[in-house]
Amino acid sequence: MSSEPREFLERPEAFGKPTAEREPPLLDRHLHPVGMLLDALGTIRQWIGIAAFPSLAALFGGGLRPGTLVLIGFFAVLLVVGAAVWGVLSWRATTYSVAGDTFTLRRGVVQKSERSLRLERIQSVDTVQGVIQRLFGVVELRIETAGGGSEPDVRLPALSRETAEALRERLTRVHRETGGGEEPEREVLRTLGVRELLVAGATSGQVGVAASLLAGATQFVQQVLPETLAARLFEAILPRDAGTAVLYVAALLVFAWLLAIGGTFLAYYGFTLSRSGDHLHIRRGLLNRYEATIPLARIQAIRVVEGVLRQPFGLAYLRVDSAGYGAEEGTSTTLYPLLPVKEVPGLLEAAAPEFAAPVQEVGPVPRRALRRYLIRAVVPVLLLAAPLSYFFYPWGMLALLLVLPAAVLGWLRFRAAGWNYASERLTVRFRNLARTTVVVPRRRLQSRTVSQTPFQRRLHLASLEVQVASGSTGAGFSVLDMDADDALKLLARL
Amino acid sequence: MSSVREEGGLKAEPKERLDPRAKALWRIVGSFWALFLLALGSAGTVVLTLAGAPVYVGLLPVLGALALGVLIVGVIPAVLWRRWRYEVRETEIDLQRGLLKVRRTLVPMARVQHVDTQHGPLQRALGLSTVIFYTAAGPNQIPQLAAPVAAAVRDRIAELTKTQDEL
Repeated sequence: MSSEPREFLERPEAFGKPTAEREPPLLDRHLHPVGMLLDALGTIRQWIGIAAFPSLAALFGGGLRPGTLVLIGFFAVLLVVGAAVWGVLSWRATTYSVAGDTFTLRRGVVQKSERSLRLERIQSVDTVQGVIQRLFGVVELRIETAGGGSEPDVRLPALSRETAEALRERLTRVHRETGGGEEPEREVLRTLGVRELLVAGATSGQVGVAASLLAGATQFVQQVLPETLAARLFEAILPRDAGTAVLYVAALLVFAWLLAIGGTFLAYYGFTLSRSGDHLHIRRGLLNRYEATIPLARIQAIRVVEGVLRQPFGLAYLRVDSAGYGAEEGTSTTLYPLLPVKEVPGLLEAAAPEFAAPVQEVGPVPRRALRRYLIRAVVPVLLLAAPLSYFFYPWGMLALLLVLPAAVLGWLRFRAAGWNYASERLTVRFRNLARTTVVVPRRRLQSRTVSQTPFQRRLHLASLEVQVASGSTGAGFSVLDMDADDALKLLARL
Repeated sequence: MSSVREEGGLKAEPKERLDPRAKALWRIVGSFWALFLLALGSAGTVVLTLAGAPVYVGLLPVLGALALGVLIVGVIPAVLWRRWRYEVRETEIDLQRGLLKVRRTLVPMARVQHVDTQHGPLQRALGLSTVIFYTAAGPNQIPQLAAPVAAAVRDRIAELTKTQDEL
């Protein structure tokens, strides 16, 4: 927390730069009153999080005695009233000011805090809209500053649209003036249609995630409900024969699939990628509207990800790794959720020309590396299958059937692996499940490593790993088992 | 392979080695692990013997732990030390390390953001120190240098990053 002297605010004319003097300072402005509600809801959510488990346990553990219910009701009322009062108080205590070349946020009911930012340090100003904010027509303004993760963003959770727009304009003016001229017009590069959106959801491969969520929910039911009730419940729904079991699994998968589609739909609805000068803008979301700005200068690498379900249709999605300012937005984020692979170079040419390498032209790893890819995929399965076969003989031996798909995966990884270095750009391709192609300009590489195991040495192979900045830490990309000479050449030249 | 190294401009190996006391430090740390493993192994042997396993099966855990202990204390530190090499050049830092898998890392000087030295209590007792330098993608380190050498390496890297920034 930096603590600028107070006079700084109250006598801006003494400090303000000529550009800022033209406008009267904004002093001690409050948020939109919806801020009280948001604050109160936040408090309630927090306390429910803390109190949920003990109170549920009390409810079911002690049986549904009226005493318990009254007690919980009392606490609930207390919580709501307390949160409301606190919301009002903290709304009253929260003010922001723009005076001269400084933005100041004051907050805190008991523990007062004051945070000042110099306008030229502001990197980007974005607006976000949650469900409640949309309901009341207000927006959340996020101010991100240049520099390390030590300096967190400023968030103004409730401003009317007009106030937010005016404030955004004012906060970024210094930047634009020093950056030379007006902010260039935003040019929309690509928008995601509803049909594409549905395809994106259907092929997102997040079925696994959704399924495990469902499994987690069952666990939760088992934990929370009294034992007899849970047992009766499960007895009622549990499958009685193999046919029903298969049906259950199928139904579960379909349900998980629908969940995945729904989730993608909510998150990426209306996805729009636009560019203004040297900034990219992303806008998306149905209920929670999300906006982000990525300065081109911060982009470290771009990944073209072809998921297992998408590759057969020639579809991919784009991720960008950008150098971080602490929070989650700085890390690795979706640049575009779904597009045909052959249109990737075109989009990159328009959005981030530095990264517009011809994605398809990646040289393979040598034929003799196939053996190592197969071993790498199969050995873990064997290590798992061996004890299973021994201890659960003979049924455990079924685990050996997994060797075949593992080998196929190894072969696919071998097929996918490749690299290319041309015009100061390194392109690396690899596959875990999804085939991923990463483009990194040479000047974005933070370090590079060649490693060689004794097995690789025998085959004259080596692995290359490059590190780029991504978020507050970094990300590494590897080519496994390339020709050892090539690896060393690259190590020296990159 | 030698022809490629020349062609690529990559010197055969980085010049500098770690301080020989590194081996002592790794042996001390290793012997703690070895004792821990030995305790586990003995427990395993006791359990197996009480469960009525034949003697040659019962002895397996403790013998296994003993073998691992010998490896950790007797063999690995020497191999690690022999492999570990580094070199601070004007434009880059060159690291080579590894036990079975040998890793060679180049970090361009222009990417180094800051550099410092650290030492733990055991390192201090032996007069050793670790140089840590940070890029935007995270830290890299040169461990177990004699404290004055570490300070000199740190200062040299700091000096070189300054001149690289000015370029």
